[in-house]
Amino acid sequence: MTTQLSVYADPQAEAAGAVSAVVASLPLSFAPAGPAAPAASVPAASAPDITAVSGHAGWTERAAAAVRKGAKGIVVSGPVAEDPAALIGVAEAAGSVVVLDQPWAGNLALAGSSENVHGVIAAALEDAVLLDSVAIGVPGTDPRDLLTEQFSVLVQCGIAVQNVRMVQRNANGYTVAGVLASGAPVALQGILTSALPATASVSILTSTGRADVVLPDPAAAWPAVVRAVTKEGATALPTLYESSHRTSWSRVHSHLSSGIPATDLAQFSTVLSLVSQLTS
Amino acid sequence: MSSQAQASPALLGVGILGAGPVTQAIHLPSLARLGNILEVRHIMDVDPAVAASVAGRVGARFSTSMEELLADTAVDIVAICSPHQFHAAQVIAACRAGKKAVLCEKPFAMNGEEAAAISAVSAETGVPIIVGAMHTFDPGWLAAEDAWGDLPEQVHTVRSSIVLPPNPRFEDFATEIVGRVSLPSSDPTEPDVIKAMLTGGVMGLAIHDLPLVRRFTPDFADVEVLHAEIVRPFGYVISLRAGNVTIELRAAMNATWEPAWEFEAIGDDAALKIDFTPSYVQAGSATARIRTAGRTTVLGPFGHNGYEGEWRKLAELAGGTGQPPSAETLIHDLEFALAIAEAAAGRVDTGRVDLGRVDAGSAASGTTEDQEVNA
Repeated sequence: MTTQLSVYADPQAEAAGAVSAVVASLPLSFAPAGPAAPAASVPAASAPDITAVSGHAGWTERAAAAVRKGAKGIVVSGPVAEDPAALIGVAEAAGSVVVLDQPWAGNLALAGSSENVHGVIAAALEDAVLLDSVAIGVPGTDPRDLLTEQFSVLVQCGIAVQNVRMVQRNANGYTVAGVLASGAPVALQGILTSALPATASVSILTSTGRADVVLPDPAAAWPAVVRAVTKEGATALPTLYESSHRTSWSRVHSHLSSGIPATDLAQFSTVLSLVSQLTS
Repeated sequence: MSSQAQASPALLGVGILGAGPVTQAIHLPSLARLGNILEVRHIMDVDPAVAASVAGRVGARFSTSMEELLADTAVDIVAICSPHQFHAAQVIAACRAGKKAVLCEKPFAMNGEEAAAISAVSAETGVPIIVGAMHTFDPGWLAAEDAWGDLPEQVHTVRSSIVLPPNPRFEDFATEIVGRVSLPSSDPTEPDVIKAMLTGGVMGLAIHDLPLVRRFTPDFADVEVLHAEIVRPFGYVISLRAGNVTIELRAAMNATWEPAWEFEAIGDDAALKIDFTPSYVQAGSATARIRTAGRTTVLGPFGHNGYEGEWRKLAELAGGTGQPPSAETLIHDLEFALAIAEAAAGRVDTGRVDLGRVDAGSAASGTTEDQEVNA
């Protein structure tokens, strides 16, 4: 039987992660925590099981505060680049789970359980001649935030990028150069526009074909697109109509139910390291 | 040397200088689709066997000298498909020979001085010249140009991304090539090889899209190459900016069976994406998509590609109708391409190009740095 967990989201967290709609789509797993009280003022004994946290600046401190107040699980929507080291310590000490709800990296297509997707990516990386990735954000987005999300995708894909270098950066986006372990070039671009959907794509060109992953905006349950081209033909992997928000909430429930710890914060440290090389 | 029957006076006569794979696989198949307006009457190549063979398949005269072709009064339109270094002199000679129109394969000159000389002769003789930047004649592009409104004023990012098999893959499906020359492989970690690959990539491949890029870069003279890198076995990653416009050029010629040739111009609230068909094969036009928030306008595909579009335009010009591109446009297109090619290759000299951190297996695979990339 599914254990129903109570959820609290302040207005900023609600806006960042569409928490009400997502919780409503998982009615056996979650229920609102009742009349909202600010997390900081909730006594530990009556703390909600899970607290949603907006990922804007200061999220690591807000998440740590919620853990201290007794939350068993934290879901951080859209975390910006921020050192999670202290939060890791707080969460481990309390036995709490912290899940990062990232718009593209959190897509179910890239979950560890999506072995077919990771298999396509790994096969392409073995024979890569070029990795080209484009992230689209709305005008006004801080390019550093977009870059954080883009690096998160690469890390979630299991792609190790070395020697990253900022080629150009302006109010409309950025270009980053890097290299794969094989020596193949990596080209990352962030573009700010309202004309295109907020997607992230990763294209790995190989000596005989390519692999493409296109990750949708989590504003709706658009499916990711994963396609491989080899000498034998083209393969489109099965599509999954679930937003990354919902996937993240399913994950936090799964971690709490199974007792298996989440590795989101450790992985985010890798992302932060890449971002810091470019922006420090 | 003739095998041609009486020329039809109702048709415009075409003479072609250079009968290599581009002529065989691109121009002759395009002209074969336009037999109601154009007729190939003279083929010139320095290799008499190639000239005879190629001329024979279209019933044209053949020769091994430019002078003989230009003296042929049955030739109204001259197409210059010779090696790059001969283009300028042959364009000028064709204009002075009093032909009705000239098509010069890109690039139409190798430096600004040559371009200025061509411009002067074109102005003096009144002979219209077009350069074989086929995408600018693609009906998909032209339809987008008619529909995009104020897009050029707001574009801040341009991307050209090209993934193609090596040219023979398409040449062999467009025609049966004679006289193909195999190119030697070379070490892609050598700086000179990398420079040649970057120059060849820009002047042979990216150049197809650079006139399109320039359409969205009013400050094209203010171009700065920020990053340049080769892709093996042939290709490039080049990042540049021109004024306030970010330009990203990507290309990979690998052994894929699936080509992808995309051009994007992106502004704050409107964006253009064009999917071009591969060169050589007669696969119709590009398809253009103009997007604004919540709305996508799809234009095309149309029934012919940019190469056929070039010939349709030439027929118009030779018939005294239509407007040729201005000499200024052609010169600026060339200057833009040359500036990018020189700056990209120049980064090798300054040590700002990745000279190949690859494993031994990849490095040993070799490449052809100046392979034919007249896609």
